[in-house]
Amino acid sequence: MNRLSQAALTLVAALSVSQAMAATRGGQLVYGRYADSLFLDPVLNDANLDIWILTNLYDTLLQPTADGKGVQPGLASRYVASSDGKTLTLTLRPGLKFADGSALTGADVKWSLDRARKPDAGAWSSSLASIDTIAVSGSTVTLRLKRPDPTLPAALATFNAGIMPQKLFTAAPGKNDAEKAKAFAEKPIGSGAFVLSEWKRGSYMVLKRNPYYWKKGDDGKALPYLDSVRFEIIPDDNTRILKLQAGELQGAEFIPLSRVAELKRNPALDMELFPSTKVNSILMNNRPTLKSGADNPLSDVRVRQALNYATNKEALIQVVTYGTGKPMTSYMSSTTPLFDTAQKGFPYDLAKAKALLAASKYKGGFEISVLATSGSADDLALLTALQQMWAAVGVRLKIEQVDAATKTARYRANDFQMRTAAWTNDINDPSQITSYYALFDNIESVHTGFKSAEIDKLFAQSQQELSRITRASQYRRIQSLYAAAAPIIYLYETPYPVALSKKVNGFVQIPLGNNIFSATWLTK
Amino acid sequence: MNSYVLKRLVQIIPTFLAVMLLVFLLVRLLPGDPASAVLGDRATAEIVERTNRELGLDRPLAVQFGLFVQRLVQGDLGDSISLKVPVLRLIAERLPVTLFLSVYAAVLGVLMAVPLAVLAAVRRNTWVDALIRGVFQVGLSLPVFYVALQLLTLLGARLGWFPIGGYGESFTDHLYHLFLPALTLGLNLAAVLVRTLRNSVIEVLTAEYVSFARAKGLRSRVIMTRHVLRNALIATVTLLGLNIGGLIGGAVITESVFAIPGVGRLMVDAIFGRDYPVIQGLTLTFALVVSLVFLITDLIHSRLDPRVELS
Repeated sequence: MNRLSQAALTLVAALSVSQAMAATRGGQLVYGRYADSLFLDPVLNDANLDIWILTNLYDTLLQPTADGKGVQPGLASRYVASSDGKTLTLTLRPGLKFADGSALTGADVKWSLDRARKPDAGAWSSSLASIDTIAVSGSTVTLRLKRPDPTLPAALATFNAGIMPQKLFTAAPGKNDAEKAKAFAEKPIGSGAFVLSEWKRGSYMVLKRNPYYWKKGDDGKALPYLDSVRFEIIPDDNTRILKLQAGELQGAEFIPLSRVAELKRNPALDMELFPSTKVNSILMNNRPTLKSGADNPLSDVRVRQALNYATNKEALIQVVTYGTGKPMTSYMSSTTPLFDTAQKGFPYDLAKAKALLAASKYKGGFEISVLATSGSADDLALLTALQQMWAAVGVRLKIEQVDAATKTARYRANDFQMRTAAWTNDINDPSQITSYYALFDNIESVHTGFKSAEIDKLFAQSQQELSRITRASQYRRIQSLYAAAAPIIYLYETPYPVALSKKVNGFVQIPLGNNIFSATWLTK
Repeated sequence: MNSYVLKRLVQIIPTFLAVMLLVFLLVRLLPGDPASAVLGDRATAEIVERTNRELGLDRPLAVQFGLFVQRLVQGDLGDSISLKVPVLRLIAERLPVTLFLSVYAAVLGVLMAVPLAVLAAVRRNTWVDALIRGVFQVGLSLPVFYVALQLLTLLGARLGWFPIGGYGESFTDHLYHLFLPALTLGLNLAAVLVRTLRNSVIEVLTAEYVSFARAKGLRSRVIMTRHVLRNALIATVTLLGLNIGGLIGGAVITESVFAIPGVGRLMVDAIFGRDYPVIQGLTLTFALVVSLVFLITDLIHSRLDPRVELS
């Protein structure tokens, strides 16, 4: 082949690619969800089932980037922090509107953020706790802070800071905020890419395109490309997949990892594994004695480290996640900002595990119990594999299967030795997972009882540290200290498995879990 | 007869009260509380406590029960804790779906069971009898979810004859969408009915009055419908009544597999979420529906068998 024809071919290929990439407008995407939303108020609820819909309905001033590592402009086109870090000035885009066509003003912004930061407003108010006052002048919103807060931009890009129409909300029937929220959440109006048009609980939900959406598509016209998204509620995994294969759905979430390989082979489907912030671990009770008063072998750091070394993550990734996971090397996922790539975690090392146990007073081995969610095939596969792995160092693992509410109750009462757990971030900042996993004062370091004065101090500093470099070094140290103390068993990170019809383009689920349909389009 | 119905309806009241007290106490005996279930693992103790206080769950049990009864008398079952909508509305939306499915399944079950049971009885101890009984025996021993998935895969996905799950929008659409789940439940019901019905048909067929009817020269079709079936159905009606109660409760798995928005799925979600008002409301509804089905069964029974006296 000569150069010229090669160049021509390249050109043709480039043209056909760019043609294939030109988004077409219109159509409805039917998407299978495993469960329905509960309550569509951004402040008073925080279940993923709600959050992942809320982010399509209510826009935030700033938005998380698709890679999960930072924030980008949203309703605010720019934001500037003062040099002392105690003022954040945001500029609203001109001509912003809610989905009913009414103007979105600075007053709506102030009211929404004030509502979200009230101390008794939901479980999320603390993310905006550094705000002292909010002032509005034209399109400028000025946040004066009690202290410098490097996490605030990420907090402003999180669902609970969604901007709501003050007039419509306060006009909703009800005596107080909670009652008005109940009424408003039945027919919410926001400024997101979509607006709720129909909701048959337990059955389906239809989101229509918001004709007043501010963001523009590649064709220069307003997004979203789709006319509507219809969410069908299909709790059974097999049924969701069958419906997708039959063409009744164009997308389905939470594909069981066991079926990923099979769906990857289906030429009509794109089996996507979106990087997530999900970390799967086993939480250990680190306290010297158990609730029952018995001695707790897990209070010895050598025992906890030994179990970590005796855990063959690669094998678990094959057995439990069918090869889709990757080993955890920090308590936070590798998609979390300020994740330290130098962290080693606990590579499988049976000799080291045995040596550590031999140095403890449990060299003869011991029995330990773990709480698992009954009916969870994943939990059972994981724990039976661990049973065998740990038997090699003389540890007998007893699996206690209980339902989710019982598991939570026992966990909350610190009445457990070990439990299976998974975590996903809701905010593009390492502070959230750190405050839960490493700070005793929040929920006793996810109820492990772990406590480190040095981590407490570093965390407090990092919450006011404006230099990203310094903050990164603080988090590097926190991650190392945490690994050395090993309050949890480091397992693996897992992706979000979403299967899409080949006709679906431009859909993304970001590491925080938000489903982004605004730039999604269907091939005709 | 009317006074009998009235009496039976009045009798439902104490049953209802007992169920009410029992379920009220039982849900509170379950480990875990609604606030924890709604708020998840991450909530702090203060938030859980505050939510429980807002829900009135920090008050003494007797006070909570009193409030519950007081509201119930006013026709209010309270609001769902997780969904934040009135329980009555949820039940009003979901119960018709489950009732539709149950009646549909019962009709399909009877339509399958009666002719096959009669055929098996008439051809008793032949290969036809063995085949019918064998097939249903196998059907009975297969788990419902397995049958459901096989039907979905074959008739839904592979042949494309029926939609895969869902409920549809209109009456005919419901009939179309619910055919596979109704068939799943109907097969299970038919399996139970065929066995009983076949035995009673055989019993009646060998009775003297049937031999007499034959001797009179009545056509066998008339004998079968007027004499044999009418008598054989008596035991079956009772069994059917008992099973319809079971169908409503047993719709749980079918509703999940076929993505049907009925009360079965609502109940499962409510139990996992410790949504007390929903669990209580649904249990009372189930108790009421089952009581009514039993009453209707008894009425039909007395119609079929004049020896049964309603008193």
